[in-house]
Amino acid sequence: MRKQSATTTRRILSTMLAAIYAAWAAQAAAGYAFNQVVPDVRQPVSVSGGSACPVRAHQLSAALNISIRWSTTLGTNPVSILTQNQNAARLTEIEQVISQSLAVWTGVSGTTLLPATVAPIARVSTQSACGSDGLNSICFDQADMAFTPGVLAFTRVITSDALGEQIGNSPAAAQLGQILDADIYFDPTDAQVAFATRAALPASPKAYDLESVLTHELGHFLGFSHSAVWSAMMYPYAPAPGTFTGTRPTAQQPDAPLADDDRTGLRILYPDPADAVDIGAIAGRILPANPLSLPPSPPGVTGIFGAHVVAVDQSSGAVIAATIAGWSCAAPGPAQFDGTYELNHLPISRSYTVYAEPLDGVVSPAQITPAIGTLCRNPISDPGWPPLQGCVVPPANVSFTTRSR
Amino acid sequence: MSFAQRRRFLWICFLAGLVLLALTAAFANGTTLARLRFEDLAQQSTAVGRLRCLGSEFRWERGELWTETRFEVLERNKGLLPGLVTVRTIGGTSGHLHSHVDGVPVFRAGEEVYLFLWERPGEPYRVLGWAQGTFRIARNVDTGIETVTQDSALAPIFDPRTRTFRHGGIRNLPAGIFQLKLRRALEEKK
Repeated sequence: MRKQSATTTRRILSTMLAAIYAAWAAQAAAGYAFNQVVPDVRQPVSVSGGSACPVRAHQLSAALNISIRWSTTLGTNPVSILTQNQNAARLTEIEQVISQSLAVWTGVSGTTLLPATVAPIARVSTQSACGSDGLNSICFDQADMAFTPGVLAFTRVITSDALGEQIGNSPAAAQLGQILDADIYFDPTDAQVAFATRAALPASPKAYDLESVLTHELGHFLGFSHSAVWSAMMYPYAPAPGTFTGTRPTAQQPDAPLADDDRTGLRILYPDPADAVDIGAIAGRILPANPLSLPPSPPGVTGIFGAHVVAVDQSSGAVIAATIAGWSCAAPGPAQFDGTYELNHLPISRSYTVYAEPLDGVVSPAQITPAIGTLCRNPISDPGWPPLQGCVVPPANVSFTTRSR
Repeated sequence: MSFAQRRRFLWICFLAGLVLLALTAAFANGTTLARLRFEDLAQQSTAVGRLRCLGSEFRWERGELWTETRFEVLERNKGLLPGLVTVRTIGGTSGHLHSHVDGVPVFRAGEEVYLFLWERPGEPYRVLGWAQGTFRIARNVDTGIETVTQDSALAPIFDPRTRTFRHGGIRNLPAGIFQLKLRRALEEKK
């Protein structure tokens, strides 16, 4: 009797211990993600490219190709943007924050996103400068209907699934996935929410750091979705009021606020063919020990889908890159859910530990769904879609454990 | 190792695990989605209900592309919801153009959700706090048990009042318990 009781106690304790460590380990979840679109293969090849493989949303990164304007109309009731200076100097202070936040992204080495890519920042005095007009805008005083309590800022990005499309004043899409319009909105209506410039932040501990929030939003502007790396700029939540993300940029390290995960993601979005450092790649497949454990529906799933695959630098322990894995695609498509993962643009001459984990940690599948939910189109979602190039995104597999690295 | 030694060892491991967990939680980094506690959601929402998604359509208005999702109201927990309700979210598809905002909840036809809705007079319903006000219902095909999970669950949440991070949200909560919790939160408001 006593032995049986002891065994039961031991089992309970072991289970609780395992649960505790599982919860603890889940904090390390990771993964950059991109806003993607599947080209419309119902159109001629000259317009669609002919492939149903998802393409990443991105800005054209040729010289002076990215233009941004910002509305100098600032809210007065409530005052949502806090600055140290007033009047004309106030606008200069805000503009410096915008320039600085952009410089964080253009300061990443090994990309074609250079300071020269961005045209001089323009000002516009109209309050409602943001809208689907083909002009990239930042608005601090536009009370968009999308805001509700609890939403601080957002970026709306418009892409095209066919070449030649345009919206408003945008140029015609020259590349599939090209971002035609991206607008950044800050909530001007909530009296409890304010954003402070770097100079004003120390005196405004209840305000959010404008530079951190704007740098995050500019990540969306460039094509990023949210990352689950909690130190990444693209982590879904802004830093606490009165604090800022990472470390402030310096002349020596202009991309200092970013995490390696952000940098790797940017190198994938805007790869520099001349980059000789960040050219490492690790690829493989995540397969279940028992194939019968895979979901029977939708058909064709042959590997674990929706896992976070993380590459950790063995010497520093830092997360260098992470991705939401489990699929591959080769022209003419569609995406195959075969458990494939690829970690590209890794710095060479380093050793990495790779591990996979289910999406049940810090970031839930629901938060990532927009990134993985846009991998497929099919005759039901899009009438007339060629069946052979159609697919259905399976639910993220969150019930696996890994045995190898 | 004797039984007593094993038990002591397991207790030490258990307590060490608790300490590790507490330390990790204390230093957890960042969430400031202007945290809305469950009670805040109940208080600030204009309507709460269990809804079944019927489908979505897209429309242009005020220079933006919006998704309007129609829901059948299955249960009314707060507010005067009609039998059918339309919820508006930013983003959508129009021809070859795709308008996208990260963090906006997306609904599939047939799925059931508890939604905390918010509206200003004369404007359509929106989901309060986007992912924070979205609670999806899953039904176990074997047992028939329904569970409720908040879209923003499991992400560490920053509480500006206490200036600490904590894990909040609702994940895999049996629907019956969720309803009790909801009822209590709504009554607290009164």
